Amino acid sequence: MKLGRATMSAGDALSPQPSTSERVSEDMAAVASLERDAELMLRVRAGDEASFSALLDRHRAPVIHFLYRMVQNLAVSEELAQEVFLRVYRSRATYEPTAKFTTWLFRIATHLALNWIRDGKNEKSQESLDQGTAEGATRQVADRLRTVEQEMVYQARLAEVRQAIQLLPAKQRAAVLMHKYEEMDYAQIAGVLGCSESAVKSLLFRAYESLRSRLAHMS
Amino acid sequence: MECPLKSGKAFELMMSYTAGTLEPEKQIELERHLPICEECRKAAAAQKAMWEALDVWRPAAISDDFGARLYQRIAEEEASPAWRMLFRMPWGSLFRPAVPVAAACGALMIAFIVKDPLIRHHSSSTVQQKISIEQVERALDDMDMLKQLSAPAPAEGQASERI
Repeated sequence: MKLGRATMSAGDALSPQPSTSERVSEDMAAVASLERDAELMLRVRAGDEASFSALLDRHRAPVIHFLYRMVQNLAVSEELAQEVFLRVYRSRATYEPTAKFTTWLFRIATHLALNWIRDGKNEKSQESLDQGTAEGATRQVADRLRTVEQEMVYQARLAEVRQAIQLLPAKQRAAVLMHKYEEMDYAQIAGVLGCSESAVKSLLFRAYESLRSRLAHMS
Repeated sequence: MECPLKSGKAFELMMSYTAGTLEPEKQIELERHLPICEECRKAAAAQKAMWEALDVWRPAAISDDFGARLYQRIAEEEASPAWRMLFRMPWGSLFRPAVPVAAACGALMIAFIVKDPLIRHHSSSTVQQKISIEQVERALDDMDMLKQLSAPAPAEGQASERI
């Protein structure tokens, strides 16, 4: 999984795209990564516990981060992520590398998150949104040199972004999180959500439209 | 290059452009177009602003014991009796495809019961039978009463002899 590819600073020009050779090597790395996942899972099927550990190391962070942004509660997201990997482990005997491993993994994660949201459990976590922000603040502080004022501005912006994403319908939210933060393409998101690519584009169009209007003042 | 806003592909193009996933040829074309089209420039800037705003939300740190807790759960599961696995099976998802079929069968059965002329006839004939039995009983009672009324009254002497 390619991480941190699309982060741009405000001072960047409108064209932060990598060169063709960089992109080719990225794609080759992605293909190798997919083959590696399938290979590891087949080894898990054959009873190799170390391969499961390797899979966990590779995918733990993206799955938890996705679930955290979906449910906006760290404890719940870790609990759901545990369930995701438990289900992967339980299904090892019947695993067939017919689809991308990450698509399968995120399908389980999305299914669990959507069920959790549908069951109305997110109301409790919404109550603790402020608590979650504080919790995130202590965990997310990357730049220790930020002044108190900068920290307050950052927290205010973060709260607005979280709120804007929270207000999206669950399926739109899942599509945006996979597209924006997990850098999945339309086909993969469609595979996860079980819909067509055009349906994904439509979901993303509406979601980004809402986000643009809600976050317009932040620019 | 045709203006993306006029061709209806603006959203996809701008999104890919901002995300850095646009094909190099299209990227060059768009970058040539942006300086001459104010609307596209505004659309690209709005998309970029939103994209950067979302970058504020960085991932949270994961608990150190996540893996340990997971392995503990796996060990507990493996130590538990095999029959318990039955309760963990995703029965809901297994039977989900059968739910619409079952619902359709149920609806058909109800429709069949409601609309079946034989059943309706059977039920209506039962009612008719009930009515006819009551009517017959009532008619017999009436006839008894009429017989008693129409019978000649016995003579007084005969009556006293009987007493």
